[in-house]
Amino acid sequence: MNQGLKSNLKAGVLLALASIALGLSAARADEIVIGASLPLSGPLAGFGSFQQWGYKRAVDEVNKAGGISIDGTKQMVKLIIRDDKTDPNASASNIETLISRDHAVALLGSCTPALVNAGALVAERAKKPMVTGCDPLEVFKSVRKWNYVWDLFFSVPELAAAQYKALAEANIQTNKKIAFWHDNGPDGQAVGGHIWPELAKDFGYQVVQNAEFPVDNSQFTSIIGEAKSKGADVVLVDAITPQAIAIRKQMAAAGYTPKVINIEKGAEPVQFAEALGKLSDGVLVGGYWDPSFPYPGAADLAKAFESETKLSSSQHIADSYTAAQVLLDAIAAAGSTDSEKINEAIAKTDKTYVVGPIKFDADHTSKLPIVAVQWQGGKPVIVWPKSAKTGELLFPVPAP
Amino acid sequence: MPDISVALSTIASGILLGGMLALAALGLSIVLGVMRLVNLAHGDFLVVGAYAGLFFLKFTGVDPLLGLPVIALFVALLALPLYSFLLAPLAERGAEAQMMTMFAVAIILENVFVLAFSADTRSIETGYATLPLTLGPVTVPLIYVIGFAISVALILAVHWLISRTGFGRDLRASAADAQAAETIGVDVKRVQMLTFALGAACAGVGGTLIGAAFQFGPSSGAPYLLNSLAVVVLGGLGNVLGTLVGGLVLGFLQSLGGLTLGDGYRDVVGMALFLLVLAFRPAGFLARGRS
Repeated sequence: MNQGLKSNLKAGVLLALASIALGLSAARADEIVIGASLPLSGPLAGFGSFQQWGYKRAVDEVNKAGGISIDGTKQMVKLIIRDDKTDPNASASNIETLISRDHAVALLGSCTPALVNAGALVAERAKKPMVTGCDPLEVFKSVRKWNYVWDLFFSVPELAAAQYKALAEANIQTNKKIAFWHDNGPDGQAVGGHIWPELAKDFGYQVVQNAEFPVDNSQFTSIIGEAKSKGADVVLVDAITPQAIAIRKQMAAAGYTPKVINIEKGAEPVQFAEALGKLSDGVLVGGYWDPSFPYPGAADLAKAFESETKLSSSQHIADSYTAAQVLLDAIAAAGSTDSEKINEAIAKTDKTYVVGPIKFDADHTSKLPIVAVQWQGGKPVIVWPKSAKTGELLFPVPAP
Repeated sequence: MPDISVALSTIASGILLGGMLALAALGLSIVLGVMRLVNLAHGDFLVVGAYAGLFFLKFTGVDPLLGLPVIALFVALLALPLYSFLLAPLAERGAEAQMMTMFAVAIILENVFVLAFSADTRSIETGYATLPLTLGPVTVPLIYVIGFAISVALILAVHWLISRTGFGRDLRASAADAQAAETIGVDVKRVQMLTFALGAACAGVGGTLIGAAFQFGPSSGAPYLLNSLAVVVLGGLGNVLGTLVGGLVLGFLQSLGGLTLGDGYRDVVGMALFLLVLAFRPAGFLARGRS
């Protein structure tokens, strides 16, 4: 083969590969591309898998109904999800890729402030609308004044107060000694470092320990030992799922069973109860959704998830499903894929979804109602407030 | 100043945990000693062991500690084709090529775990894994005691294998000078293959113990690889008994770090020690006692 032929062949192959690559990534003119970066692997994958299902379901429903009318023509919605591996840098670069290469007209958020905010800042800079859940409102608002990013989730002070209120309402007897263990992430520091200790006085508790640890810490021997030696009857923890599982196991192995254990964030996904079995019984966690909520489609959403996946549902299917619905409704209302028009339509959202009424305030946030959930027999049971209760508080936490 | 009972319990737990860290690092150490290979997939071999223990319990109902020989054999058999098809052909191209290959294997394994088992955090649920053992003022997790006993027994068994058997003689000869060993009739490739499998088997056992004592997921390999590297450097490359000492020292100092600075600073203390030993005693604590 002569040299000229070889170079032509090389050029041809490169051209073919480039065409394939472009064909794969470019948006078709007759479809609306929306994108999301999610933690499908890494420590937060337990959240990401539920969010993925919620996002996909909302898009599938719209497509089954014939798509969205854009400038008078029905177009299908294409959802592109990229794995951020629980890494904020990857979350930011995924959003960059979704905008520049995949030509996403609008975006959906990741989970936890670190991941959501990293991607949201890229969307904000590119002036692409993003709707997200899974980012506590006060943390979201503290980042900047948002113009293109919208957050529907719970308020941190309300969530932080939920367990205190649940314990007060149940009128349980403890020695009122309380210990806080929290990770050093933004929400861990806000809840465990500030809000919980401040609320403790209001509810008559004596703070005997406040320990902070890195998000990926795996050994808690000293922290547990100190709380045990100080006789804390109530332990409030803010940690992600792997650490939540490690903490509960190590508490049991240290022979320490306080009367109340609350683990924010980490005790929420069903994998917490699956990994721990009976040891999860009695553990409390704040929640913002349950299939029993009196909102249209709430019970059906959980049933659909469970019949499709054969897994127990999680509240994360609801905020993700709602975030996607809000975005899709806004695109439909705008009747356009123009970012500004979609953004204006999101601002006008005023509708009740499976998580409750959604209407954004001037800070681009919409607050979800809070409940206190307790793991009982591997199932989440709402124990507070009275109006939403699906069971009675299990007290004290059973000894292993 | 922490309560005396807390201090004693934390230090005792740290030392016991150090035994398990030593077993987790043993495979890395012997592979490094014989093949001069930093097996960057070693942490993922531990995770294979943890999943193997989890599914062994799930499908047989038999306690995974009783199934440790089966799990060790399973992980060793998985490692054999990796050596034969990936590492052996690269033997002439230096340690870097093999190391990068194992880095790729680590990434592939992590993705395989996600695809096969989902990204969920798991834990091997056994009754004794969450029981405390109290002796006077000291309370330690029972699983740490069990893990420590198994780890020390296995490390001593591997030490005996290397120092008292024909295979061990060949292994030591290959580690000292592979070319010279070959000229006197040692089948170095076979020794390396069996060493790699032995390292994987040890990781399998260590992974099951870790899975029972703690939690794990597809990406849990990296932190254990880092801890294992620290143990190997502390104990001396390829030094089996040194690995045990390295594990115990790391466990003790990590617990001391946790006690004085907080649990979040355990790894910082471990890594600081790792750097100090690398700087001032790069051959490890027991450099002269190489087995």
